[in-house]
Amino acid sequence: MALETGRSGRGDANVAAILTWVIPGAGHVYLGAPLFGIAAFLVVTGLYLLGIRLSEGMAFEFLQTDLRSPIAPILTPEVGNLSAVIWHMRTYGFGPSFPRPWPAHIDLGTFLTACSGLLNACLACKAHFDARVPQGMHSKKPSPGLLVLAGWILPGLGHWLQGRRLRGAIVFVVVAGFVVLGSVLADGANLDRERHFYYWSGQFLAGAPAWILEVLHGHALVRADIRYVDAGLAFGAVGGLLNILAWLDVYSVAEREGLKHLEPEARPAPEVVA
Amino acid sequence: MNDILFHLVLFVAIGAGIVALAAFYSEPDDAKALPGLPRRFAVFALGCGVLALLLVVAGHTVASVR
Repeated sequence: MALETGRSGRGDANVAAILTWVIPGAGHVYLGAPLFGIAAFLVVTGLYLLGIRLSEGMAFEFLQTDLRSPIAPILTPEVGNLSAVIWHMRTYGFGPSFPRPWPAHIDLGTFLTACSGLLNACLACKAHFDARVPQGMHSKKPSPGLLVLAGWILPGLGHWLQGRRLRGAIVFVVVAGFVVLGSVLADGANLDRERHFYYWSGQFLAGAPAWILEVLHGHALVRADIRYVDAGLAFGAVGGLLNILAWLDVYSVAEREGLKHLEPEARPAPEVVA
Repeated sequence: MNDILFHLVLFVAIGAGIVALAAFYSEPDDAKALPGLPRRFAVFALGCGVLALLLVVAGHTVASVR
């Protein structure tokens, strides 16, 4: 993608995206949009800090002892906000060696830290695209980062907003259908991050269908063996992972269309001095 | 329902979803992607069948735990 970077762009697209991944908003500061960069930093980092406060930094204590390692967070949504996840691991890690009660709002807290990671990934998409828009121009089409964000929040919405409605409907049916079917098969046990840490991470990518189901059915007690729990976990996680393919499709089309439809930025009219 | 039959139904469901989204990812034009779905699914199912056969053979030979 970044190989198409023209010299007329605002900067190197890969540098902008990587800077954003490392420090939210840094890519836009690099591209000469410091106000947007600082605002983005405040929102993304604020979300992570709020999540840490609610969960008391205990998100990675959900992991079973044999799964704990310094690279364990790589497969979590939080890794989208790299500096935050490194700080999180260094400050809180896996907690003390003895079990302790979870804080009252740990589920909401870990949900917010995960949201921060995904939001920053969308911001990196935006930085990657913005870097290739020449100075003084802007695209008439919606930002690829915004469409990817829409496709995360509601599977298929990114396609729908692009006018590819049949494709959007099919994406929604497949992704949401997998999460619903998985939840039925696993009796809702798949929806709890404490029980199935990594499967939850996959499922989280399916957006609102997974989040709503988690609120409604995600934290019930498991009182008996669930016969098809493995199949349920597979369906839920595969649904979320397939949504990544949908985002890539949305991004590539939005990128192509966005760079084709550029127009000069509106500037304020010069004051006429009498 | 028979357990193996139920697993086959689940396989068809998850396979159909994977094949559909993979087809849309590789073909930007819906009009071209949709007609190719049955052939793609057949290739996917055949590939999974071959893999399952290899696993069963391995389970009875080199990877037997009996």
